[in-house]
Amino acid sequence: MLAHQMALESPMIEAEMVEATEFSELSNRFSVSGVPQTTINVGAGMVVGAVPEVQLLEEIQKAAG
Amino acid sequence: MTKLLNEEVSDQVREVFNGLKEPVQVLFFGKESDCDYCDDTLQLINEIVDLSDKLDLDVKDMQKDADSAKQYKVDKAPGLVIAGRDGERILDYGIRFAGIPSGHEFSSLINSLLLVSGRDSGLNQNTRQALSELTEPVDMLVFVTPT
Repeated sequence: MLAHQMALESPMIEAEMVEATEFSELSNRFSVSGVPQTTINVGAGMVVGAVPEVQLLEEIQKAAG
Repeated sequence: MTKLLNEEVSDQVREVFNGLKEPVQVLFFGKESDCDYCDDTLQLINEIVDLSDKLDLDVKDMQKDADSAKQYKVDKAPGLVIAGRDGERILDYGIRFAGIPSGHEFSSLINSLLLVSGRDSGLNQNTRQALSELTEPVDMLVFVTPT
């Protein structure tokens, strides 16, 4: 949800919710163990669990700064 | 055909959809073979879209509508794009779902429909400011499970 809010806010951001068991190859590739797991720019950044707005923002800035 | 949403859930969602503001265009991308959840997802999104006249559904095929899939960056089936609609214009915000949105993801889908319809992220001012300063594209995959 937070990722979708960010996508709506910024034209630079895209966010896709992926059903991990249905796309197991992809979730294995990004070593998904807990959900939700947010992977940013093909693994440049990663957040596990539901995190506050500011924490996801920091991770985005690290991955795409 | 048996409905996926029972009457109680339909009523609840219809109620929530009273909060819809601007029109929303949902794009469904399926494929003919090797897609276990395409049929159920299509039925589910059809039933949801039927609950409000602010919601529209466009059904596409990953192979036959490959250009469209590419345009909306859909590479998994079933795929859903939750876009805005302004007359004939589709407003793509980069908001997508891959896989059947059941269980937990059902409420995420309803929330994203409301989000796009409101055209407002609801994020705090500092976050909005920081995001407006991004210079590189950001592509997020949020892995979730239905339970």
